[in-house]
Amino acid sequence: MGIVALEASLATIGPAAFNSRLWLSLLVVPPTCALASVSTTTRRTREELALFAYGGSSWQILLRYFFRGAIIALIAFSPIILQGFLATTLIFELVVPVIVLFFAGGLFYSLPSLRRIRSSSFVENYKS
Amino acid sequence: MISVIETRSVIVEYPSIRGVLRLYDQGVSLKVDQGDFLAVLGGSGWGKSTLVNVVLGLEKPIHGSVSFRDHDVTRESFVKRCGLVKTAAVFQRPTALPQMTVSQNLHLALSLAGVPRKERDERIKEALAFFGLDKIERSYPDGLSAGQRRRIDLARALAVKPELLVIDEPTGDLDGSATNLLIPLLRGLNRNQGTTIFMTTALPRQASQAKHQVHLRPPSYLTPENRMIGD
Repeated sequence: MGIVALEASLATIGPAAFNSRLWLSLLVVPPTCALASVSTTTRRTREELALFAYGGSSWQILLRYFFRGAIIALIAFSPIILQGFLATTLIFELVVPVIVLFFAGGLFYSLPSLRRIRSSSFVENYKS
Repeated sequence: MISVIETRSVIVEYPSIRGVLRLYDQGVSLKVDQGDFLAVLGGSGWGKSTLVNVVLGLEKPIHGSVSFRDHDVTRESFVKRCGLVKTAAVFQRPTALPQMTVSQNLHLALSLAGVPRKERDERIKEALAFFGLDKIERSYPDGLSAGQRRRIDLARALAVKPELLVIDEPTGDLDGSATNLLIPLLRGLNRNQGTTIFMTTALPRQASQAKHQVHLRPPSYLTPENRMIGD
């Protein structure tokens, strides 16, 4: 609710110009992605356990979540990105925030997974 | 002869309410040679699954070392160990990915194991047929019984054609007929394909089917008093 409220506030009080709006909106990406990842911990843990058992490495698992988070963030912001694309004359002004969005989404979506994998209780899940 | 797995004086400790739980008080030292079939026998809570995790690099011992083909891998990950010995693991708890079908799970495992794409379909077909899973290959694991999910894990492990198969209590969720089939299957795999097998079990009858056995001892609890005496 806090994230939605923050985003709504930004949409209301933020300047209408593309650049500032997108930069301000980027602030909601880290907590939203982290919460999205944490809220599905049970499912993600099963996925991580399976991937390890199948011979996957920590890096492969983290990359999987990184790209998932990055894509989620890009899709969520696609209307604003599209609006910016139509409004901007300099493509560079659009590319930089989109790259930041991509990395922020990926990083904050994969961080909870990294924490789970590294915890000492993780492998206890393999035992009955 | 260079052993596939060698553990030397491995000890694991966990904090617990009664003090520090120490598994393998005297340390576990064992050797598994190429083509061997070793059964680790022990009661519930004696550290069988922990030993599997230690062998696979998922848990680190507080004392002792683990070697794969004479390389000290005590601090190395499962993936690094797989690089030295092609290993497949079947854990006590079924691990199939819930959002993928049985067949897709096996595809993913084979792709992570680096099996060429053109070989995968054939291997999956063989493994599914062998474990009687061919009729449910398009089902999702969550809709299946515990025994069926255990068989998915076994099919996944064997489809990889590993050099070393590590199995934690293989017949845990299987019914009587599947249990009776599994141990001869493992023996056949060991004898005919030369697969090295490291298995844990709580059943002496099952352990007796293996070429060699290691018996674990019950764990001990270290309190501040007896730890000082021990030290």
